[in-house]
Amino acid sequence: MNLFNILFYSIALLIVVSTGLAVTRRNLVHAVIYLIMSFFGSAFVFYLFGAPFLAALMVIVYAGAIMILFLFIIMMLRVETPEEQLFPARQMWPAVAVAAGYLVVGALLAAHDPAAGAVLGPAQTEPAVFGAYVFRNTWLAVEVTSLLLLVALIGALFIGKRPTHESEE
Amino acid sequence: MNGWALFGPELFVFGAALVFLALCLVKSPSPRRDFMVALSLAALVVVAGLAALKAQGTLFAEAYRVDLFSQVFKVLLALGLFLVICLCSRLNGVEARHHPEFYLLLFICTLAMMLLSSAVHLLSIYIALELSSYSLYVLVSLRRARQMAMEASLKFFLVGITASAVMLLGLALLYGATGAVTVHELARILPGAADRPLVQVGLMLTLCGFFFKLAVFPFHVWAPDVYQGAAHPATAFIATASKIGAVAVLVRLAAASEESGTYLAHALVALSILSMTVGNLAAIAQKDLKRMFAYSSIAQAGYVLIGILSMSPDGYAAAIFYCLALLVMKFTGFLVLVAVAFDGANIEIAELAGLHRRSPLLAMALMTSLFSLAGIPPTIGFTGKFLIFNAAIAQGHLPLVLIAMVNVVISLYYYLMVVKAAYLLEPALDPPPMQLPAAVNVLAVALVAFMVVFGVYPQAFIEMARFAAAALLK
Repeated sequence: MNLFNILFYSIALLIVVSTGLAVTRRNLVHAVIYLIMSFFGSAFVFYLFGAPFLAALMVIVYAGAIMILFLFIIMMLRVETPEEQLFPARQMWPAVAVAAGYLVVGALLAAHDPAAGAVLGPAQTEPAVFGAYVFRNTWLAVEVTSLLLLVALIGALFIGKRPTHESEE
Repeated sequence: MNGWALFGPELFVFGAALVFLALCLVKSPSPRRDFMVALSLAALVVVAGLAALKAQGTLFAEAYRVDLFSQVFKVLLALGLFLVICLCSRLNGVEARHHPEFYLLLFICTLAMMLLSSAVHLLSIYIALELSSYSLYVLVSLRRARQMAMEASLKFFLVGITASAVMLLGLALLYGATGAVTVHELARILPGAADRPLVQVGLMLTLCGFFFKLAVFPFHVWAPDVYQGAAHPATAFIATASKIGAVAVLVRLAAASEESGTYLAHALVALSILSMTVGNLAAIAQKDLKRMFAYSSIAQAGYVLIGILSMSPDGYAAAIFYCLALLVMKFTGFLVLVAVAFDGANIEIAELAGLHRRSPLLAMALMTSLFSLAGIPPTIGFTGKFLIFNAAIAQGHLPLVLIAMVNVVISLYYYLMVVKAAYLLEPALDPPPMQLPAAVNVLAVALVAFMVVFGVYPQAFIEMARFAAAALLK
């Protein structure tokens, strides 16, 4: 086991633990902070894989922009932290069962697929080349994403709006 | 043919959506104006779709394939949009000031479905699918009865994002195993890699995203609540047009993975049986008409899957034909629903009592549509089921077809219960005859004529579906 392996597994552990904490925290601010930790971990994994550009994007866009926006929203809306559990423990069981199913299938795949242990070839590239690829080969998807954001904006407006009296039936 | 002409119908729908984006900003609400603009634009979309029917080519760096298959689906989508907007003349389930947003989302969702039917790049397929889902989530939440609409919208959203997550995992596995990013590369690589578990699991999980749209078991749980909670025209859109885009991609992916062995077909057989059985058995217990429609459409999705899992040109053609049939049949049911529930509230099946005296025409339209959904000759629904079962038997799926036939008999029971309510039950107090606008009468007559005439002489549409399926395999 060399240094890279040790680094990779320790960071992977960090990601899993902090994401798990983010999902289970009732306090939203704590959850967001754990999620930021998980994003930093992912950024470091990308860096280890030899993709510094993606690592930078991960920090700037996810940990930097999106999560800070989340924090702003939580602080502005002053969402009250529910003290009690959101749903009873017996409703957790289906989720646990589904997750266990994925775990079993994943383990079986790793054990039985001949290509599971194969080393993927490195795909290093310059940011400029990457950008040119995205906007040349997948620009339809990029443009449709802008439409998706418009629809999401309308949705946020309607679903987040407090009900007015005239809209009650 | 140049790119502008190839992308014509989509650009037109996009332009129409922008018109409503502008109308959203106008201060004074005017439902009449919005309705007339939407109706005329939707009619033009149908014209644009028909004009581009013969278009052929690829766009956007091979990410977008325009062929007869996609163009046929685009015409179906345009037709679905037009018919649904016909239902909006008295859109009183939605507040007047939100009407432009309602039409905006209808047009954007149609655009997304059109993109879906042509997209061959996996990334474009995923983004188009998300666009159509998100517009539907918001569309559901627009209903005036806010509490019910919000609950339905959130349930829809939660099931939807779960399905998306599963689909993304599948796409990642598929990409990791094959390195393919377009459907055509998949079709080239899959025959050699079909027996690898990674590929099988990846394909199956990828298809889950479309099972959600089609409300196939186990992603059907949203359907009853959403059908019940959304405004009637929005439900009609979800029940008719929104299934078409999903069928288009499913057929395209099935055609690409035709050679990938029997695992996929077996999994689809299991899902199809479960969908039919769960949908039909649950539908029997329903009292609310829209919930009944929801479970019935889960069952119908099972029948469509039979056509797809046959994985033969005949099977694909049958699925395309059945899509058209479903569009017309379900829409007729919703036409009656909107006319009877004139105040925009939900109605129970028992409230249909005495419909044959209040409006004989609507009662007949409802009966024809339900008989067609159940697959009784001489309706288009019978022809569609016949084609699907025939294609499945030709591929050796006889047990599946027998189970499907048992299901058809079960479904007959609850369809007949609705017909009984409309024709035989006497209402408690005698309601006055319904005053229907002439346009509704004309539409009802046209739909009934369509279902019967093309049930007896379906040849033209079968030919069209065959050509479309052939274009797919080229």
